[in-house]
Amino acid sequence: MRTRPGTRVLQYLAVLAYLIFLGFPLVWLISSSLKSPQEFASINPSILPKHVDFSNYTDALNEQGLVRGLGNSLQISIYSTILVLIVALPVSYALARFRSRLRPLTNGWILVSQVFPVILIVIPLFMILRPLHLTNTIPGVVIVYMVWSLPFALWMLQGYVAAVPRELEEAASVDGASRVRTIVSIVMPLLRPGLIATAMFTFISAWNEFFFALVLLQDPQLKTLPLVLARFVGAEGQVQFGPLAAASVLATVPSLVFFAFLQRRLTSGLLSGAVKG
Amino acid sequence: MKKALTALAAVGALVALAACGGNSDNSSDGSGSSTEKVTLKFQSLAFQKTTVAATKKIVADWNAANPNIQVEYVQGSWDSVHDQLVTQFQGGTAPDIIHDESADITGFINQGYLADLSPYLSQETKDAVSKGVWDTVSNDGKIYGAPTLMQSYVVLANSAMFKQAGITATGDSLTWDDLAADAKKLTAAGKYGLGWGLKSPTATVLNLGMNFDGKFFDGTGKDAKATIGDPELEVPKRIHAMAYDDKSIDPTSLTQSASDVLPGFYAGKYGMIVAGNYVAQQILEEAPKTFQWEVLPPLKGTSTQQAANPQTLSVPAEGKHIEQSAKFIDYFMKADNLAAVGQGDWLIPTTQGARDAIQKATGGKNGWEQTLASGNDLTKAPFQSVENYPKWKDQIATPALQEYLANKTDLAALGKKLSDGWGQVNQ
Repeated sequence: MRTRPGTRVLQYLAVLAYLIFLGFPLVWLISSSLKSPQEFASINPSILPKHVDFSNYTDALNEQGLVRGLGNSLQISIYSTILVLIVALPVSYALARFRSRLRPLTNGWILVSQVFPVILIVIPLFMILRPLHLTNTIPGVVIVYMVWSLPFALWMLQGYVAAVPRELEEAASVDGASRVRTIVSIVMPLLRPGLIATAMFTFISAWNEFFFALVLLQDPQLKTLPLVLARFVGAEGQVQFGPLAAASVLATVPSLVFFAFLQRRLTSGLLSGAVKG
Repeated sequence: MKKALTALAAVGALVALAACGGNSDNSSDGSGSSTEKVTLKFQSLAFQKTTVAATKKIVADWNAANPNIQVEYVQGSWDSVHDQLVTQFQGGTAPDIIHDESADITGFINQGYLADLSPYLSQETKDAVSKGVWDTVSNDGKIYGAPTLMQSYVVLANSAMFKQAGITATGDSLTWDDLAADAKKLTAAGKYGLGWGLKSPTATVLNLGMNFDGKFFDGTGKDAKATIGDPELEVPKRIHAMAYDDKSIDPTSLTQSASDVLPGFYAGKYGMIVAGNYVAQQILEEAPKTFQWEVLPPLKGTSTQQAANPQTLSVPAEGKHIEQSAKFIDYFMKADNLAAVGQGDWLIPTTQGARDAIQKATGGKNGWEQTLASGNDLTKAPFQSVENYPKWKDQIATPALQEYLANKTDLAALGKKLSDGWGQVNQ
């Protein structure tokens, strides 16, 4: 079926409008990062800087330990993501495939665990981690992020596992494959989009998390990126807008790279034609 | 399979890391004697580049002179310090030296989290700060924080517009009547006399309310009663009159923050603004080079008094090195040190010695003379002893004042809301 030219034009316009809507904040952020303090204080702000000024970038990089913060956030986010996937994959498989009376209870608990506000659990958590010498350490924060992201990751992955046709596993079983072999060779490749989506969610959660990091990390060498960005805000609502915008641009780069790398692999339709109805 | 093995190896490395990762807390025998070598964590909230540099220099000078009491500078943030301290006090991991402000530490004092510094601070330090300011950090004769820097509310003026209107502001003070008259004079041709960022009006109204002896509260802690009468309503009444009777305040500015009104101030949209004196730092950084401005004398009603909410340096009650921490705080309070950090943040030091040092260093230029003068009458306000004040401020006073300043209610309704609201939140 051919699309009419008029319809095609409208489609492109809609996509363009959507791109502008999504892209404008980033354009504004980059533009702001290149403005001088005088331009920031102008009563008629312009979209593009009148004079490109890179001093915000030098300030951001020199003043607050931004590079170290980036490194710490990257380390914590990657470790958390790997751990969550390692734990969530077998558990979500078991929840999706094995019928038992415990399943609705488990799923209910997973949901309930998501409604607790962070502020409610942070002090007990701190009390648990302290005797274990895990406060003020990267592994401590990784464990917390893993526990925090796991329920939702399980919830997500369960759906993906359920979407894998059982017939494929049965066929593998008929061919003599063990359950582990079936999971590794049959289920995991088909779950790749789900694993990537879950990885993205976990990575973002860890990358953006502020409060746990604030409470658990006191050593300046261990501060994560959100903590570093918070230092550009002073008392009485004073904000160093230029350096903050520059730092935010630099903070966006690793996650953009991460997503550019992963989204190409986030393909669905792997299952089409796998099973004839 | 290879990938799974790589992932497992990563987990193995993480577990190894966890095993190695020790807490960086100072190990200590808990004796806290002054002869042992200790390292103290000082979490500073210094924000401006110049202040951060000045604070680091103080730490470096101290470390050079005190090999047995080393201080480690840790950068904190005003935005999150309260939540961070709440958790750290609970877990016993608060920094050895805590930078905060008196309004925030009042709750911590009541909960017993802070150490009494009075046995350790020198007489020189105690004498250098006025009683009214000590009161903001004291309870039952004990001192729970050393007050370092304060802000006051000042009137900043566009010098060119003042000159054009033939206004000169001299003398020791500027009365509220004069402020209204000047604002009226400056209001013409689409320009307003005054821009006033009152998005969060409560702190401004309660602080400047002391100009008219406004108390707002009688008593302390949970037993405090709200007393809302004419003196307490004088400041909102005058602001309202300027905005809606004289039409000399830009009504839009009343919905903005103090920083939001600055672009309009630079552009000549208003002849004056009222703000915390620290905005002078921002003006110097970002105003057009040709922009001429000045700080007017302190505002006066029946007096020039304003509430003091100084920044503070405190020590946790469970700290292992209270004496050594207090020694560093005592050093920080020296005139030259306070002057250096005060000048960087454009805030008023709590000691006369430091104020004199800034006066000498700046020659009183860029509004410093009037700014320093506005610090002379800062003292403790009744609301600073009231436990549920933050709740009343957020839930009752701010919305009620916003409504009144938006001309949606009258003065009597405002008074009733402020008074009745206290009964609701103080249960």
